[in-house]
Amino acid sequence: MSTNTRSTDEAKPLTSHPRAHNKGTSSTTTSEEGLIQWNELMPQDNPIPYIRVKDFSFFYGPKQAIFDVNMDMGKNRITALIGPSGCGKSTLLRNINRMNDLVENVRHKGDITIDDDSIYDPSIEIISLRKRIGMVFQKSNPFATSIYENVIFALRVAGRNNRKELDEVVERSLRGAALWDEVKDRLHSSAMGLSGGQMQRLCIARAIANRPDVLLMDEPCAALDPIATVKIEELMLELKKEFTIVIVTHNMQQAGRCSDYTAFMYLGKLMEFGTTQQIFTNPKVKKTEEYVAGKMG
Amino acid sequence: MSESNVPSASDSPSSPAPKRERKPTPARFLVSPVTLWIDFLMTWVIKVGGIGVIVAVIGIMVFITWQVLPLFSGASIQPHDEVKMTMPNPAVVGMDEWGELPFAYDGDRTFEFYDAHGKNPPQKVTIALPEGEKVTATRYFPEKYSLVIATDKGNVGQIKVRYDAEYKDGRRTVVGRAELGTLEPLIDLPAEAAAEANPATASPAPAPGTPAPATPGSETPAAPAPAPTPATAAVAAQTSTKITVIDRGAGESNALVGAILKVGEKRELRAITFKAKRSIRGAGKMTLDQRYDLTGQLKAAPAQLLVPSTADALIVADDSGQVSYFFQDGDKFELRQSFQPFADSTGSKAIARMDFIFGDVSIVFSGENGQSRVFSLCIPAENNPEQKRIFALTKEFPPLAGPATFFASSQRNKAFLTGSGKQASLRYTTTETIRWEKNLDFDIRQGIIGAKYENLAFLDASNVLHVYELHDPHPEAGFNAFFGKLWYEGLAGPEYSYQSTGGTDEFEPKLSLIPLIWGSIKGTLCALIFAVPIALTAAIYTSQFLDPNLKRIVKPTMEIMASLPSVVLGFLAALWVAPRVADRVPSLLLILVLITLCPLLFGWIWNKIPKIYRLWMRPGWEWSLMLPLLVVLCVIGWNLGPYFEEIAFVYVDPNTGQRYADFGLWWKHTTGGGYDQRNSMVVGFMMGFAVIPIIFTIAEDSLSNVPAGLRSASLALGATRWQTAWEVVLPIASAGIFSALMIGLGRAVGETMIVVMATGNTPLMDFNLFSGMRTLSANIAVELPEAPQFSTHYRVLFLGALLLFLLTFVVNTLAEFLRNHLREKYKGI
Repeated sequence: MSTNTRSTDEAKPLTSHPRAHNKGTSSTTTSEEGLIQWNELMPQDNPIPYIRVKDFSFFYGPKQAIFDVNMDMGKNRITALIGPSGCGKSTLLRNINRMNDLVENVRHKGDITIDDDSIYDPSIEIISLRKRIGMVFQKSNPFATSIYENVIFALRVAGRNNRKELDEVVERSLRGAALWDEVKDRLHSSAMGLSGGQMQRLCIARAIANRPDVLLMDEPCAALDPIATVKIEELMLELKKEFTIVIVTHNMQQAGRCSDYTAFMYLGKLMEFGTTQQIFTNPKVKKTEEYVAGKMG
Repeated sequence: MSESNVPSASDSPSSPAPKRERKPTPARFLVSPVTLWIDFLMTWVIKVGGIGVIVAVIGIMVFITWQVLPLFSGASIQPHDEVKMTMPNPAVVGMDEWGELPFAYDGDRTFEFYDAHGKNPPQKVTIALPEGEKVTATRYFPEKYSLVIATDKGNVGQIKVRYDAEYKDGRRTVVGRAELGTLEPLIDLPAEAAAEANPATASPAPAPGTPAPATPGSETPAAPAPAPTPATAAVAAQTSTKITVIDRGAGESNALVGAILKVGEKRELRAITFKAKRSIRGAGKMTLDQRYDLTGQLKAAPAQLLVPSTADALIVADDSGQVSYFFQDGDKFELRQSFQPFADSTGSKAIARMDFIFGDVSIVFSGENGQSRVFSLCIPAENNPEQKRIFALTKEFPPLAGPATFFASSQRNKAFLTGSGKQASLRYTTTETIRWEKNLDFDIRQGIIGAKYENLAFLDASNVLHVYELHDPHPEAGFNAFFGKLWYEGLAGPEYSYQSTGGTDEFEPKLSLIPLIWGSIKGTLCALIFAVPIALTAAIYTSQFLDPNLKRIVKPTMEIMASLPSVVLGFLAALWVAPRVADRVPSLLLILVLITLCPLLFGWIWNKIPKIYRLWMRPGWEWSLMLPLLVVLCVIGWNLGPYFEEIAFVYVDPNTGQRYADFGLWWKHTTGGGYDQRNSMVVGFMMGFAVIPIIFTIAEDSLSNVPAGLRSASLALGATRWQTAWEVVLPIASAGIFSALMIGLGRAVGETMIVVMATGNTPLMDFNLFSGMRTLSANIAVELPEAPQFSTHYRVLFLGALLLFLLTFVVNTLAEFLRNHLREKYKGI
């Protein structure tokens, strides 16, 4: 995958700080429900739409959690989902790799495609879909094995046991998660001995070990202290060179600091979607303004 | 908000006292006394309850231990009375059942009875022996209070010692009596003497079958019998020919008297048999049948002689230390065995004493150097090509200080009292242990064990009888008896055997707990082998794969199953399962194979089905497709069983060539093990049903309690449901699963009713899947109602309980350690 993630015309704006580009983005139009169409959003950036959510509704039993969401998430961009608790942002995130299928009595309407493949296509194995999409959870959840075994879990379950390959993957993934220098001397000691921030970075390393296309992050810094948070954020900026990242966060500063695009959700509806700059400086919807300004939620 | 209650801050500095007054607490901050009181009360109730539980468990443990401890204590002995015997050098001393009226016999015609408390003067009793006749040999049978005597005229007689209670002035006094029965001619000693004096004209020994009435001894009236038989000639020869050793054994319809004759300088061995004519009214009077001279079959002069009470054998020890065992086979005495008890001795091989242990099956041989060995009749497997019942060395005791000078056998059990010089030693044959041993401060000439095994008495050189109280309630118990391999009388070798009660008085309880422990382990293993795979796979399936809606039904149902009374399961096992399964073992084997293959087959087919059709089935409901297949396979297996039996389990009778398609027969002849209807398989099956819900419930809980985040992480990384269950969930739940197994194990070990009802309760020790067993718990349930309180049997049952207690305790402690270890390993999740 890494070969086609770096087309030359994209490389330049992406390496710069998110706040530095997309200046003066104003030519977006808002539909009557606050839905923003991708094509009108960022003419300068113009990334490839990778994950497309189409008329997506989601139900927990009789309760509808997501109402007709339409949005595109750009390849090699960080898309942040923000909104008050219970707004459906985590649900949307967890639907991208169909983790919500594990919940009982759920159903959905509409579709989500990744690289134009529907995730609900019956011919797609859910296992291979999940291999394609890495996920980092709010609470770090390393397995009770060694650091090494944690990182290569995805390879182990795929039956890849070549020692040399595994060693390479461990080093590459841990370096990718900026953890290598801290743990390289104790790769075979228990992952339970790591600090909270290290554990979360280990989970990131584990998620990227199999080189997925997409990385979903569900409030990855919620349980971390500010120093660890900064490290994870820096890491995300590194990772987006290779992956398409979707992040759910409650932290406005975090969304502002590291995301390229921000979607504000409220009561299961997508209220506003735009560049981060635009959402934070010039929100079109009143709710967004209230939320971003801290008046709500 | 009543501000008036709160003193303003400006008030405090104005008060000059350094002691600051406490500000009153506003009412809203006050705690109601009732609340405090309830809190205090509940704290204490919980404390008391918690400590109470611990105290109760420890109390039970202490109580059981208390009941068991006496089993492991030795005998204790307390001086009771001392009786000065006026008779010099008594040949025999004996004692009544209560140890109150010991007697002494001078070896001729005088008995003296002494009051043990010294209140009454000695009673002197003279037996009605004809004038001029002298007793030359005696033997005392303490269990019958009778003596056999032989006189210098070659007659044999029996003296009964009786204790009669008389009431004088309202007080009970015990009067000792000694009565001589009819004297019977045994050997014509004058003729023997004449033959010895003049061998040339010697007439042969009196012809066999001489009609000389012999008494069995009991029913003869007390009237003195007139001295029969001619006994006047050859007075001179009498000095040189006499009976020196005599012994008698009497069965119901026959009797055997053995005698060693001193003829001049030579000694001869004689055996005389008596027979009673049997009629419809039972055995009649004994008449002399045959006389035998067995001297020729001995290599050296006979010195000692024993006749067992079965009256069919003679055991003779000669001067060289050789023991000859003659067995009466019809009209002949066959020298069945000849052995030297102390053949390996470096010094003298001679035998100082040989005496029967109670039951007349074992003989204690005492060597010249104090060695003490027990030989018992048995059919040894080795060196015994004809499979005859012969003597074999079964026990060896630590040697005495010197050659045994006295010996007394208990009349209750296999204990015997022996010693040398000042040393006295009370030993127990079966367990090969010394119950008590001490050097007394006098030389012991004779020793007595009271009839009830409650008294001991020693006669010292100055004719003082020292009576001791013996406290040894459990002589047959001890570590050896419970956990060692013991060579019981009659067995071919040492073995672990449990048989606590028997039909006869001579029966010796066999108390090895090893077969019971074995039974417990076997039953538990059978149950766990059946239950663990089912319970664990069911728990994994339910927690990881089954549809959550269905799980809400399955889980409580299994929990209800756990509370099914085990007596119902046992009843079902014994009366319903066992008879049906008895002739359907091949069907079960088939079903077992089919059930195992079914999911594999189903899984394979399922994976071949295109994904489009598979999506049609909701995850967690796949089983509903397999269930009909499973049922069909079970029915097929059940019905194909008999055909399978005809192919695989055919026993061909080697004699008739007939073919039997019968699993039981086949099993018996192929493995050598028996086939019982109520067997370990049925127990395993039914006890499994008792254990499965417990293991299932706890294991399922621990599997379900694995943090969802870890499952999500694993699934999100592209692991399948099975990989997630196996690689992530199982290791973390391992501590809980381990607990589940241990609790299941504890349940199976302690399970009683199912085992009692579904097995034959035979304490076997084998690996046979189709034989029964007896477990520790079943043993307690079965035998406690028939065990008298505080008897050895009673305490042994408590020992079984203690073992169960300890077993559970040890298993649970180990389990807790392991569980903590596992929990430690996976903590922080």
